[in-house]
Amino acid sequence: MVRRLSVEQLSVTNIRNLRSVTLNTSADVVVFAGRNGSGKTSLLEALYLLCTSKSFRAPRPAESITHGQTEAVVRGRLLDGTVGREQRVLLRDGVRSARFDDKRPPSLAAYAQASPVVIFHPGDLPLTMGPAQGRRQFLDRVAFYTTPNGTKALDDYTRAHRARQKLLETRGVDAPDIDPWEALVARHGLELMQTRQHAAAALIDATEHAFTQFAAPQLVLRGRYVPTAPDDEDSYLTMLQNSRVGDSHRGSACIGPHRDDLELTLDGQPLRQVGSQGQHRAAVLALKNGEITAIERARGTKPILLLDDVSSELDAERLRAFFSFVQREQVQVFLTTTRPEWIETGAFGEASSRHNFEVDHGVITRI
Amino acid sequence: MLPDRVRTLIQLLSRLPGVGEKTAQRYVLFMLTTDSDYGAQMGQELIALRENIGHCSLCGNLAERGGSDEPICSICTDHKRDPHLLCVVARVQDLMAIERTGAMRGRYFVLGKLLSPLEGVHPEELPIERLKDRIASQNITEIILATPPSVDGEATALYLRRELAPMGITMSRIASGVPHGGELEYADPITMGRALAGRQRLSR
Repeated sequence: MVRRLSVEQLSVTNIRNLRSVTLNTSADVVVFAGRNGSGKTSLLEALYLLCTSKSFRAPRPAESITHGQTEAVVRGRLLDGTVGREQRVLLRDGVRSARFDDKRPPSLAAYAQASPVVIFHPGDLPLTMGPAQGRRQFLDRVAFYTTPNGTKALDDYTRAHRARQKLLETRGVDAPDIDPWEALVARHGLELMQTRQHAAAALIDATEHAFTQFAAPQLVLRGRYVPTAPDDEDSYLTMLQNSRVGDSHRGSACIGPHRDDLELTLDGQPLRQVGSQGQHRAAVLALKNGEITAIERARGTKPILLLDDVSSELDAERLRAFFSFVQREQVQVFLTTTRPEWIETGAFGEASSRHNFEVDHGVITRI
Repeated sequence: MLPDRVRTLIQLLSRLPGVGEKTAQRYVLFMLTTDSDYGAQMGQELIALRENIGHCSLCGNLAERGGSDEPICSICTDHKRDPHLLCVVARVQDLMAIERTGAMRGRYFVLGKLLSPLEGVHPEELPIERLKDRIASQNITEIILATPPSVDGEATALYLRRELAPMGITMSRIASGVPHGGELEYADPITMGRALAGRQRLSR
């Protein structure tokens, strides 16, 4: 039985231009409408902070705090299936702290895994068009929820790979400790490849299926995880040993998870090359659907969905198709829009299960 | 507002790990109000600490300096210990943690550092020669590599394994797994995975 996660109440203090806000958000769809710079996205940032203890906009906690203030707090009442809980994230002195029902979680990663959230914002649009790095990060985000170890494999691999690179660049290819570091690059590289393979398997089916609903139904989107390193440790190690000279100039190893891709094809052709603007948008939406489904299957919890300014990027028809999927999935949706007139058209779902708010200079009013 | 001397002491105390300014202030006020011997004794002990305590010249553990001789710790002078078994650890704290278990019958060797090219720690900064001397001169036959199970700790263990291999001694790596008295359901997934990977055979 899959549980549904929802935020029933949200209160925000000192996140950007939101000085003190408390909202009843117990609806299937929560719409924040307002002009650019009014504080709509800051509300999504607060929700993302509440769920993950991190911001999707700012790498450092201090950047999310209202200018001139020293601390920010986001509190919320969440409903996980039938069980309610209070969550709280505090940002102070560049440090994040998180609590469930006033209790400290085992780790911030464990805190974030307990309340999965999926976000879709205009910055996601290059996901299918742009360089592979974006797709790797996307895959790692899915893997964070689909593997119990979270980012452990990624962290270990990154540290070992960076250490080997530093050694090659500062000590040369015959450094006495190059062998142990290479052994660890291969060991953790294989762990990360397995983690990603697992995440991709969870993701791809649902993505391929969803694509048929957002693009012409006869078009076939296929996804495939493409690792660059061999899947047995000995060949992996041999290839690393043979590429030391080249790698020391290149700035990274010629093979390994830092070069992986999530390959997407449209009717057998690379989507990056043949896809139209509309097909790319449909593919990104399909990937987000895949992410929701993968998280749901792995954690038994339907994630919360945050949509930032999608009405500026998607046409009404595609938005409607996306919303009908989202509502079938019964995930709770928070969205921002600069087009309040779209609310009445039903583009954001039925009025009965929707709360609409107007956002203006950090002040929020129910409409 | 506070006398200079008080302020200086607060600053000094708040450099201690885990002590903030408020706690430091409590400590100073406590020393001013409690009996005068307490502060005096602490002061004398602090001065004596650096003068009398050094690192054991054999293993790197804390040891009392005695006259002109190189300091030797109480574990290295303990004749009841197995002289042929040596446990290699990264830090003195790790030695203490293993020692508390009472399960280590041999002696120790403290590396002081772990390999980490990213922080500029390379093999020449590890006391490898001293370790090899110790193995050769004391006729060590078995080594336990007890560096932490982190990326740097593993790299150091792999490096030591290769460096010491020509000496023909038995080497082992500490196991990693579920804690004693713990419930399996509460074990974190990494630990659980390691416990399964490092399982012990009970029968053929």
